[in-house]
Amino acid sequence: MKNCSKCGNPQIIIKKKHSGQSLCRECFIESTREKVLKDIRKYKLIEKGDKVLMALSGGKDSVMALNILNSLCERNIIDLVAVTIDEGIKGYREDGIRIATENAEILGIEHKVVSFKQYFGRTLDEIMSESQKNAELRHACTYCGVFRRWILNRVALEEGATKIATGHNLDDETQSILMNYLEGNMHNLVRIGPKSESQDKRFTVKIKPLREIPEREVGLYAVAADLKVHLAGCPYAGDSFRREVGNFIKSLSLKHPTIMYSTLRGFERIKPLLKRELSSKVERGVCRRCGEPASGDLCKACTFIEKWDK
Amino acid sequence: MKIKVIINEEKEIKEISEGNTIKDLLKILEIPSETVVVKRNEFIVIEEEIIKEGDTIEIIKVIYGG
Repeated sequence: MKNCSKCGNPQIIIKKKHSGQSLCRECFIESTREKVLKDIRKYKLIEKGDKVLMALSGGKDSVMALNILNSLCERNIIDLVAVTIDEGIKGYREDGIRIATENAEILGIEHKVVSFKQYFGRTLDEIMSESQKNAELRHACTYCGVFRRWILNRVALEEGATKIATGHNLDDETQSILMNYLEGNMHNLVRIGPKSESQDKRFTVKIKPLREIPEREVGLYAVAADLKVHLAGCPYAGDSFRREVGNFIKSLSLKHPTIMYSTLRGFERIKPLLKRELSSKVERGVCRRCGEPASGDLCKACTFIEKWDK
Repeated sequence: MKIKVIINEEKEIKEISEGNTIKDLLKILEIPSETVVVKRNEFIVIEEEIIKEGDTIEIIKVIYGG
């Protein structure tokens, strides 16, 4: 059995197949934290004085990101607030909200809980039961993604946040790259990155501090650092295309442990070329219903709402 | 040999062969090793770790997908 590559401790908790490194608990926690902080500097995700709004679901990814960002807050580099969105998924979201609240309290971070019901008048459960009655074939993730983005942007403006941080990890990012490629969605593909680059100042910049940390390592970090996290799967995620693609990449990773890193690196290299070819300046106006930026008469969220209200 | 296995707070006594590793146990239980973190007697271990008589093995599912 190998010893820790950094300190020689024989009690190792991970053998990284992609790098050959073995690490004990302390060195794993320290090196993962350092990697995240290094990526924050490398991609200039945060500037001194930023007010960061953490999208805190209570899951392992956002709780880990919150804990690491808190170290920047403690050093007075940033201000940090957290928001938890209650989509209204009975039997699932309640625990996440409780755990998110506990984490914010432990760290002494200002925390807001907002809901789909409060902003859109319906829970995700109600949206899905309505859409099934109307035989609409949209997946829950479509509504959830659109409404969550809308709420995050709105709360960021209300809070005066300059950045929105999300817990996206390496698995999420490679899934997004592959999904958009497989669906031929090139305009969405070129938008993937550690930091959003919208020309529109009304969209708060989104950052992904965990973008280069594999999901299993995020899980290991949460357990090793004894973080309180909500470990459960969303009941609506089961049959999503994302999960299909995710399972495919995970099965490839077993034999090819570097596949997620090479997917990301390869994409980083072709992205500037794709951007040059594909970028079009979309003139954005204002949604006539909610006042958020929109490329048409209505933003995506309000398109759904108007349809339901008819 | 007998060991105690904890999955999602449910405890079970299991009979496994001498020399079995965590990886072998996960295979027996049909749990993909890349989705879990495993503790042996409250300490996180890697999947090559050999299980001993009387060990308590806790399997924590950390990847749910979606």
